[in-house]
Amino acid sequence: MALLEVRDLVKRFGETTILNGVNLRVQKGEVKVVMGRSGSGKSTLLRCINRLEEPTSGSIRLHDREVTGPSVDIRALRRSVGFVFQQFALYRHLSVLDNVTLALRHLGGLRRNEAEEKARHELARVDMTEHRHKFPAELSGGQKQRVALARALAMDPDVVFFDEPTSALDPLMCREVAILINRLFVDGVTVLCVTHDLTLARLISDRVIFLDRGRVCAEDAIENLSSGHADPRVQEFFGQEASGR
Amino acid sequence: MSHWASFVADLLDQLPLILTGLYQTLLLAAIVSVTGLALGIVVLHLEGSHRRLVRVIVRGYISFFVGTPLLVLLFLMYYGLPRIGLVMTPFAVALIGFTLNVAAYNAAYLGTARNALDPAELEAARAQGFSERQVFFLIMLPQVLRMSIPALTNQVILNLKDTSIAFLIQYTEFFARMQELAATNFQFFKAYAVTAAVYLALVSIIVLVARVVEKRFLLPGSYTPS
Repeated sequence: MALLEVRDLVKRFGETTILNGVNLRVQKGEVKVVMGRSGSGKSTLLRCINRLEEPTSGSIRLHDREVTGPSVDIRALRRSVGFVFQQFALYRHLSVLDNVTLALRHLGGLRRNEAEEKARHELARVDMTEHRHKFPAELSGGQKQRVALARALAMDPDVVFFDEPTSALDPLMCREVAILINRLFVDGVTVLCVTHDLTLARLISDRVIFLDRGRVCAEDAIENLSSGHADPRVQEFFGQEASGR
Repeated sequence: MSHWASFVADLLDQLPLILTGLYQTLLLAAIVSVTGLALGIVVLHLEGSHRRLVRVIVRGYISFFVGTPLLVLLFLMYYGLPRIGLVMTPFAVALIGFTLNVAAYNAAYLGTARNALDPAELEAARAQGFSERQVFFLIMLPQVLRMSIPALTNQVILNLKDTSIAFLIQYTEFFARMQELAATNFQFFKAYAVTAAVYLALVSIIVLVARVVEKRFLLPGSYTPS
C-alpha cells in the first residue's frame, strides 16, 4: 500500500485546467521527483495534496485515508505534511530556533523547553545549530532552506514536500540540497519533490514523474527519460534541460 | 517683568487645578491610545474576514471615522444623543469618540503594514496547520505592529494634542484649565505659550520613548535610516 496515492486529480481555476487527471503513488521512505516545465502544474499538485488549493475532483489518499472532501480535518492533514517552500518563507520576526519551535509549541502542545530540545535536534540534522539565535535576514539562501527543512521536519511529518528547492539558490548549491534530501532518504523520511532541475533530480531519485499540461506523461528511470524517450514532449524537456547545464 | 510676576503668581495660585487638568489630559490620551490600538487590531482582524459583509462593514467604519472630523463626532454624541435620551459624561463621550476615531486610523496604518507582509509567510503558517486566528496572532500581528511603530507613535502624539478639543464638550483637561488661567489675568499670550511648551515637552518625551521602542522591536533586516 502506498503512503500517498493520488488518483485522477483535477484542478481548474475558472476555465483553465491546471491538473487534468494526475495519478501518482509515493511509497513510504521513497524520494519521488516530479519534473515538468513551468506551468505544468507541479506546484499546484503539491498545494492540492495539502489542501492549500481545493482539488476540483479526484482522490488523494494518505495512509489509505481519503483527504479530499469537506469532512477532512485539513489542519491535521497539514500537520502531517511538511512543506519546504520555493522562497523558504521563514517567519522573519522570529529567530531560527523560534521558527522551528513555533509549531511544536502551538500545534504540538510542547512546553518551551521541550520544543527547544526537539528544535535543536532538528537543527543539528541540517547543520544549523550554531545559527539558532540568528534571524532569517542574517542567513544565506542555503541556510534559510536548511531552517525551512528543520521547521518542516520538527512535527515528524509523514511526508515532506519540496517545491522547487533549488530555484532560489545559486547553481552550486544544488549539490548541498541533494545531500540534505539524500540524508532524509537514509533516515527513512518520505519525500515528494517537484523541480525542473535535472541535476538535482539525478542526484536524489532513480525514478522521475514527468508532468506536462496537467497530466503525467511518463514515469521512468531518469536515464531513460533523458536519453531518447518515445514521447517528444519528454525528449524536448530533457534535451533542453541537459543542454542548459 | 511685573506682568510675568503676576502671571506666575496666578499660575501658582491655580497650579492644583492645572495639574488636575494635566492629569485628565494624560489619562484620556493614555486610555484612548490603548483602547484605540486594541479596537484597531480587532478591526484589522475583521478586515481579513472571509465574509464579504464583514469586510464591507469594516471598510465603511474606517471610511466614516477617517472622513469625519472628530469634533463633529464628539458634538454629535455630547449634544445630539441626549435628544434621544442617551446622556453621557464628558469623559465617557471623549473616551468613546476618541476610541472610535483613533481605532479607524490605527486600523488603516496596520492595514498598510499588512499589505507589506510576505504572503508566503502566511501561507507557510497555514501549510504547517495553524488556524487563521493563530496565523493572525502569531505571524501577522507581531510583524504588522513592529512595522507600524512610527505611524502608531504619530497617532499617540495626535491623541495627546487632540485631547485639547475635549474642553469643547466640558471635559476639564489641561487646555481648559489654561484657558481659565488666561481668562483670569487676560495674559493670553503667556498662558498659551506655557500651554504650547507643556504639550511640546510631553510630545518630546513620547518621541524619545518611541525611538527606544522602535530600536528594541525593529524587525531584523529592516532598513534603518542612519
